[in-house]
Amino acid sequence: MSNDFDNVFIVGAGQTTYEKKTEKPVIRLIWEATRMALDDAGLAWNEVDGLGVTCFTLGPDNSVTLAEHMGFQCKFLYQGMYGGASCIIGMHHAARAIQAGDADVIVIVAADVFDVGSHMSMNRNPGQQDYMGIWGYGAANGVFALQTRLYMERYGAVPEDFGRLCLSFRENARLNPNALLRQPLTMDDYLNARQIADPLRLYDCVLPCSGADAIVMVSRKVADRLSGPRSRLAAAGEIHNYPSDDIYALSAGWETFTPRMWDKAGASPADMDFVQLYDDYPVMSFIQLEGMGFAERGTAAELFKNNDCTVRGSFPVNTGGGQLSAGQCGASGGMIGVYEAVTQLHGHAGDRQIPDCRKGVVSGYGAVSYGRGLSASACVLERV
Amino acid sequence: MQMQKPQPRINSINRPFWSGCNDDQLLIQQCGSPACGRWFYFPRAGCPYCGATEFSWKPASGEGVIVTYTVVRRPQHPSFAPELPYCFIAVKLKEGPLMYSRLRRGYSPELNLIGKKVSVVFTEHGPGQRLPFFDLEER
Repeated sequence: MSNDFDNVFIVGAGQTTYEKKTEKPVIRLIWEATRMALDDAGLAWNEVDGLGVTCFTLGPDNSVTLAEHMGFQCKFLYQGMYGGASCIIGMHHAARAIQAGDADVIVIVAADVFDVGSHMSMNRNPGQQDYMGIWGYGAANGVFALQTRLYMERYGAVPEDFGRLCLSFRENARLNPNALLRQPLTMDDYLNARQIADPLRLYDCVLPCSGADAIVMVSRKVADRLSGPRSRLAAAGEIHNYPSDDIYALSAGWETFTPRMWDKAGASPADMDFVQLYDDYPVMSFIQLEGMGFAERGTAAELFKNNDCTVRGSFPVNTGGGQLSAGQCGASGGMIGVYEAVTQLHGHAGDRQIPDCRKGVVSGYGAVSYGRGLSASACVLERV
Repeated sequence: MQMQKPQPRINSINRPFWSGCNDDQLLIQQCGSPACGRWFYFPRAGCPYCGATEFSWKPASGEGVIVTYTVVRRPQHPSFAPELPYCFIAVKLKEGPLMYSRLRRGYSPELNLIGKKVSVVFTEHGPGQRLPFFDLEER
């Protein structure tokens, strides 16, 4: 099958160490991850001619003043406004731009300098601030506690179902030198952790932190003079505000665009060597697996019961530990799965490398507003 | 010293809702198009179902059913700390829209609130602003 992006290649990836606290300004983290991705690709700084950035704490800077700051003369710019769905959407735009001949070397980067305090006090949209916050809501944890409670009620899921996912991600994080949470986690630890927002306990919630992730996408012309491994965007998709009239559909719409994504990629869920989910909360990970066709509605927990979902197992999910164990660097939560996917496909994953890794899927989710995240995205990446 | 609670960012789109609260009235928008006529909340510049900019602010019944809930133990804003823990609820109003609010009564861990009927009650939120909370309907 012909690929929409047959002249577009991913040739490098970079990730800073995730830290609970940092003295570095966020632009420094963006710079470091970008430098690492370009070094990984074997490209010079001044070859960059496109930039896509997602960063909650970038203001008063924006994509173009960031380009100015970094010295990039750009023919393509993108600034992600869709939270954790943004990075995949930015890659999709970048692939179209490169395929059309608009640009040759595009860096897609995400970063934030966050901790628990600054996460709680960030500026919020009306849906959250004025129509939930005034009543004393529990921020993102509270929003997804509401979704989790309903999922449990509707499908009969129990805490152990979510716990299995968290334990499996933690096993992967133990092999990831950049992950923040690397100590072993048992089911007893999970179940006996303090309540955060019932039914969510401590290990259902991500740890806000600081860090950055980046990848480099290039045209065939550029890729052909590089010697390192390469991968490509086989297909991608997005949807927003789905369904527009139901906050509690327990879906953000992956099922609306992934059939077309699988078709364009010439692949199916069964062909994937790994899955990188946007794991802001276990319940959303389940909903993504169901929406992308890995499980029927309400049954994703079975995947974690019936498979070893670590990098050693039959169905590897969130192979670097995900946000739940590596940490959530704000908007970079939407990039950690992309970084991990490219690292696996290029054979650079070290102790957590999946043998003969050829294809994988990454999902994104974000833009939390009135009771839910509004934006969903996903892409299939493959080694070429 | 008691910390000031967050106050709504009042503007020309949402003013009728917030001033309705101060009159102990739950004013919700209803689409003015005869072909649509649906109720909607949160406040909007027009009907999100058909795009009509004709609408009226009408008192809702104040009755609804709890769709889902959580117990807040760590509020986004620290001013709510003295009230912890409390039940934060999503209520499907009889008129159709979904409204987030709180149960006025305290938290009881054994109670599954999903599907429980509730009715609105107005409470003091801070100087100059009252807020709709909900009470569980007596059986």
